[in-house]
Amino acid sequence: MSYKERLTRLEKLLRVDNQSKRDNANVGGASASSVEKQDDAEETYDSIDLFELKNLVFHGLPGDSQYRALVWRLLLNYLPANSIKSWDEFLVKKRNNYKHFVNDLLVIREESGERNSDHPLNPEPDSKWQVFFKDNDVLLQIDKDVRRLCPEISFFQTETAYPNEQVVSGKMDRLHKRVQSVVLESSNVIRKGLGITKINPKGPMIQDGSETGEYHWEVVERILFIYAKLNPGQSYVQGMNEIIGPIYYTLANDPDVIWRENAEADTFYLFTNLMGEIRDFFIRSLDNSVSGIKRMMEMLMDSLKSRDQAVYAHIVKLEIHPQYFAFRWITLLMSQEFALPEVLRIWDSLLSDHKRFDFLIDLATAMIIHIRSELLSGDFPSNMKLLQNYPPLDVRDILTLANSFSTTSS
Amino acid sequence: MAKKTYDLLFKLLLIGDSGVGKTCILFRFSDDAFNTTFISTIGIDFKIKTIELKGKKIKLQIWDTAGQERFHTITTSYYRGAMGIMLVYDITNLKSFENIAKWLRNIDEHANEDVEKMILGNKCDMDDNRQVPKERGDAIAQEHGIKFMETSAKNNINIDRAFHELAEAILNKTSRETSSSSGLPGSNMNAELQDRVNLNTNNKSNNRISQCC
Repeated sequence: MSYKERLTRLEKLLRVDNQSKRDNANVGGASASSVEKQDDAEETYDSIDLFELKNLVFHGLPGDSQYRALVWRLLLNYLPANSIKSWDEFLVKKRNNYKHFVNDLLVIREESGERNSDHPLNPEPDSKWQVFFKDNDVLLQIDKDVRRLCPEISFFQTETAYPNEQVVSGKMDRLHKRVQSVVLESSNVIRKGLGITKINPKGPMIQDGSETGEYHWEVVERILFIYAKLNPGQSYVQGMNEIIGPIYYTLANDPDVIWRENAEADTFYLFTNLMGEIRDFFIRSLDNSVSGIKRMMEMLMDSLKSRDQAVYAHIVKLEIHPQYFAFRWITLLMSQEFALPEVLRIWDSLLSDHKRFDFLIDLATAMIIHIRSELLSGDFPSNMKLLQNYPPLDVRDILTLANSFSTTSS
Repeated sequence: MAKKTYDLLFKLLLIGDSGVGKTCILFRFSDDAFNTTFISTIGIDFKIKTIELKGKKIKLQIWDTAGQERFHTITTSYYRGAMGIMLVYDITNLKSFENIAKWLRNIDEHANEDVEKMILGNKCDMDDNRQVPKERGDAIAQEHGIKFMETSAKNNINIDRAFHELAEAILNKTSRETSSSSGLPGSNMNAELQDRVNLNTNNKSNNRISQCC
């Protein structure tokens, strides 16, 4: 299929040719090269063939990324593919829900009367203040990580056009200011010698968040914190920032204004859905389970062994264990191995996998085999370097190689 | 295989809370550069640098670890073969200092008994935001009989020195004991390296170094 044919096919699958319908639904949508309205057989236009969509997108997304945000919303089972008609109502509901999460979880309420019984030094575990302090540990970790998200591009350090209004108007505290104040409190008191404390007059340097608006990293910080609050058993684990990064980037750069405006809420749901599938990688106690990270690394080594005995044997001989490189590859779905545009392309394929995330193993295998001659002539340190800093390449090469595995085997 | 270009191979490990600057310290040492925009380390990272010490070419194989609890299963498996461990806290972050005790327990539990340790109080260029007085670093180091220095990866203070001193302590120990084997990854390379080094064994390194900051 030519590029043009693929694009036409995609637009047909996404029903973006039926522009007027989408406009009526008032949910925006990818601003398509509009084709004339088709009145006939309306009901057939109410669903999207997810199976066909995956088959197409697996080989790359035509249309200069303009449909990526919409496609990912479908691939990650957020938008109901079987009922385009319901999207309008669905999205209003979901986005309102998210608003409630923000309001309910990010404000410590001081209802009248309660103030006397609860206070910052209240040792009761259900004291709101205890929860507040415990949350701040999580928040501090998130804060450190979102500030160092995708440093090679400036996007996350720029202001969003759609900040949280309560934050901007000063009705709600900025999350990063909240952990700064915790740092400030503890820094004020310094132990000197035997039990003598002194107040340190110098506060910490206030790191530069946005003063008037909100930076994109502040938005990501809020989503991750809400996710951590709603999933206390798992909370926030380093690396989740790398998973949410490509999703938020894609949604916040949607060419359609209405969808872009709701990037924060929708990213929350897409991230939640994706984490639902890969959360076991992030949970230490599940390392050894069938869905845990160790099993995935074993699958990679098995796959390599069956496809390239020589490289496999060499790596094993050098004692280069998969956890030295593949732990990160798999846990982060390759998001730290390549530049963002390549990551987005890779994720198109990973998310289009009919059996998520089998293709991730094929891809990791292909990455090793792609550099086989370097690996075979390398020793431990040079191979470690190579695997931990994967050389830049045209990702289509490894995607094609990986794809050849899935078509030749089974 | 290429002719080896070094006499000894030392395996070092960097541990400490997330965000204290482990990766920056390593980057300063290996590439003599500073970068504030490091992504967080997931799992474990790896760098090599060869230094010269007492006429010996010593290849340092340095493992940089993720700080968060979740990664401890992955990272503690490296403790066993490490010959030296740098334990890093951030002088502007009290909590990272308070956790030093926890990291020391981790070392006791997972590392070789005779592993050389060193405590680094990093970010000493940010004195205005200091939460941990230098004396407290001194005190905990003294209490455990470990070397201590304050460092700044940003201003390149004591970084080279820290690695050299740690390597020297290991070298002194290696020359006292005639052999040691190691379970750290890549240790099969080490077999050919078990040269008997006969260097003076006078342990001249002071327990604590007080300079700068």
